[in-house]
Amino acid sequence: MSVVKCTHCHLEFDEKVMIKELENPELNFCCNGCQGVYHLLKDDGLDSFYDKMGKNSIAPPVALGADSSNFDMESFKSRYIKTTNEGFSRVDLIIEGIHCAACIWLNVKVLGQTDGIVEASINFTNNKAKIVWDEDTIKLSEIIDKIRSIGYNAYPYDRSESEKQATKNNRDYFLRMSVAIFASMNLMMIGVAKYTGFFTGMEEDMLRLIHMAEFIFATPVVFYSGWIFYRGAYYGLKNKILNMDFLVSSGATLIYIYSLYVLFGGEGHSYFDSAGMIITFVLVGKYLEVIGKKGAVDTMDKIKSTIPLEATIIVDGGKKVVAIDKIEVGDIIEVKSGEKASVDGQIISGESSFDESSISGESLPVSKKSGDKVYSGTINLNQVIRYKAIKNYANSTLNSIVELLEDSLNSKPKIEDITNELSKHFSVVILSLAIATFAGWYFYEGSFENSLIIAISVIIIACPCALALATPIASLIGVSWLAREGLLFKEAKFIETFAKANTIVLDKTGTITHGKLSVVKGNCEVLNNEQLNILYSLVDSSTHPISKAIKKYLEENFENIAHIELENIEQVDAKGLKASYNGDNIFGGNSELLEEVQINIGKEYHSTIYHFAIGSKLLVTFELEDTIKEDAKETIEYLHSQDIEVIMCSGDNEQIVSKVASEVGIVNYQAKMSPIDKANYISKLKDEGKIVIMAGDGVNDALALSRASIAISMGNGADISIAVSDVVILNDSLKGLEKSVYISKRTFDFIKQNLAISLVYNVLTVPIAMAGYVIPLVAALSMSLSSLLVVGNSVRINNKKYKGD
Amino acid sequence: MTGILWLELIVGIIVSFTLLGVFIWGVKQGQFDDGKKMMNGLLNDSTEDLQDAINKEEKVKALKEKKAKELDK
Repeated sequence: MSVVKCTHCHLEFDEKVMIKELENPELNFCCNGCQGVYHLLKDDGLDSFYDKMGKNSIAPPVALGADSSNFDMESFKSRYIKTTNEGFSRVDLIIEGIHCAACIWLNVKVLGQTDGIVEASINFTNNKAKIVWDEDTIKLSEIIDKIRSIGYNAYPYDRSESEKQATKNNRDYFLRMSVAIFASMNLMMIGVAKYTGFFTGMEEDMLRLIHMAEFIFATPVVFYSGWIFYRGAYYGLKNKILNMDFLVSSGATLIYIYSLYVLFGGEGHSYFDSAGMIITFVLVGKYLEVIGKKGAVDTMDKIKSTIPLEATIIVDGGKKVVAIDKIEVGDIIEVKSGEKASVDGQIISGESSFDESSISGESLPVSKKSGDKVYSGTINLNQVIRYKAIKNYANSTLNSIVELLEDSLNSKPKIEDITNELSKHFSVVILSLAIATFAGWYFYEGSFENSLIIAISVIIIACPCALALATPIASLIGVSWLAREGLLFKEAKFIETFAKANTIVLDKTGTITHGKLSVVKGNCEVLNNEQLNILYSLVDSSTHPISKAIKKYLEENFENIAHIELENIEQVDAKGLKASYNGDNIFGGNSELLEEVQINIGKEYHSTIYHFAIGSKLLVTFELEDTIKEDAKETIEYLHSQDIEVIMCSGDNEQIVSKVASEVGIVNYQAKMSPIDKANYISKLKDEGKIVIMAGDGVNDALALSRASIAISMGNGADISIAVSDVVILNDSLKGLEKSVYISKRTFDFIKQNLAISLVYNVLTVPIAMAGYVIPLVAALSMSLSSLLVVGNSVRINNKKYKGD
Repeated sequence: MTGILWLELIVGIIVSFTLLGVFIWGVKQGQFDDGKKMMNGLLNDSTEDLQDAINKEEKVKALKEKKAKELDK
């Protein structure tokens, strides 16, 4: 069995299932979508896309049945489309399906070549697009169709105030940080000349020149870049809190003022470089936090863009399109195939199946008939249905989830960082000691200058560099080790929480199991070749997960299967497929379908079932199950051995959940949980004082993930759950969870060692400095030495390899 | 000797602060809002891409002129 790459999406498949072309035998396509897009790009001269794509792969294009005409509706226009000063129309979109820079290039290129489009720009970081076009030449629906034709999809979004604010804030910090980095790099170069001069000797004039240069570069850092700290210190003092900002700004100002004194005639050495660098280092750390906040705003825009805008309601026998917030309880709503239900309700006519993955996480469509409940945000897959609204939009399921998620993203509690706490108290102590030293020496000796120099030495020698480095340097090494293993920690501080966690909550579908159905029982040997081909052709005509699983099973187990042309293929509402071949009726579907055509199925089944019948004879019955990941049991055993409690949560029924739990060795499990139940359960565990790690993959897990102390998502999970999570396991294997625990615990041990080293160093050196035995220069050197000790110790983290490798 | 160094210092500072000023202008224009774009810029640097950019500019110019005429009417 040889594996080949699809020419378009670059994903690897078995050569047997690939689509070949007679005239171009070197081309291989995994599906018709890839083949279509490939030829479209080639015909338009855009095939350099594949060069730019390099080794990256993309998702195969999905055939979207959805109609784009709603983009031309008045209600859409009034909400999303703005008019520019020049009279063009403008819309903000989120492009779905972008995997790499080549995807952005392709979209921009195709849109740029389209007549009537004035501007098309896509942000590489958050995939948001701004499109300006001439309404007289092209309609927005045509632009959307163009994007869909090359395998992507687009949703509109409202450029919110919070996004504008976040962008402005981001830009402000970036500017301040750039100035600080620019000046600090210059300060470092000048520093080389200055410190070399101390050993080789330097003329007074030259030293003054160097001091002047340092002054020019340090001033913008302290007062422009450092303005954030002065502002923070001011607000802190106003609220009677001595915060980190106060210590950073007071430390830098003191050193700056002393250096000014040296520059304009005083005796001693200037320390403008230290003042500049303290501000720069702390500012870089702060900037990373700001980027995180911007990310949260982008995530919310993505979620909001999936909410339907309007719904068709039935008024006096006629249809009327209204905005979803105008829907009232009791209104009759019509949902066509491919549309999303806008509010919660109860079906009054029609039968169809619904994709509820955004609510329950289960990939299998759920069939619904009159009297059943429909939830907002779920997608109608088959027939037109009408339902009665039982809630308005504000109280519907989807909106509640969005609102809760918005709250938790905006106020995600920052994990209490012991190092920050420690350095806060530490700095207060050092500042008091320095003041006491200055006062003591001034009264004892009477020399202002000497007292000031000794006090400054105390500050410099104790400058919490080693302390400040203790956590980040070890975390950095830990995080890069994790990244090499395919475990992406979005921030280094999560290592600490990970190491301390005592409870892990796992989602079932997609996390413990593969999240895909596969055939566990199927007696195909009774079928002859022709019947096999009929079955293969029947399942090949549907994209339903069950049909796909059976198709895969047949391809893996039988050779020489051929596609034959079936007639009158028809989808039966949420039950299966009907077709005919050579005058015989063919049926493939669940028990209800066979009962409907009065074919006896013999017994009752409890798992997912697919019957195949020709005429009135049942030929074969397949049983399908979601299979458990190979390494699940082993990982859960390891977690238990580390005294971590493992809990499984699922939206599935009790029977399935308990079966999976017992197979992988989980004692504590929760079944039939809605997204809100899961989130509340996590909150409850946290209220009990537990540090909770949650691992999940679906949209339905997003809310629970955002509540957990640490959220882990699987690499192939939904965009939203990846966005709200703190850790992403790229290779989708549960073994990653085990490795994360091991590496985090080891790294955290080193963090504690580092903290001990820097505290011991300070306890030894500060008294010497207070006694006046250390000049500021030696203080600066010894401070660097302590930092080196911490760095050297941290490098050892990597030395011991993980036992499982 | 020191005189020359003073001169160099002044020239150096003027040049570097001018460049910093240009950079700040770029940031304020929003040119650096998209961090990943900077790294991927070279994907759009072939002669073909530049030619496309010119064609696009001409197309936009024509569209704008057409629109301005319509508005005048």
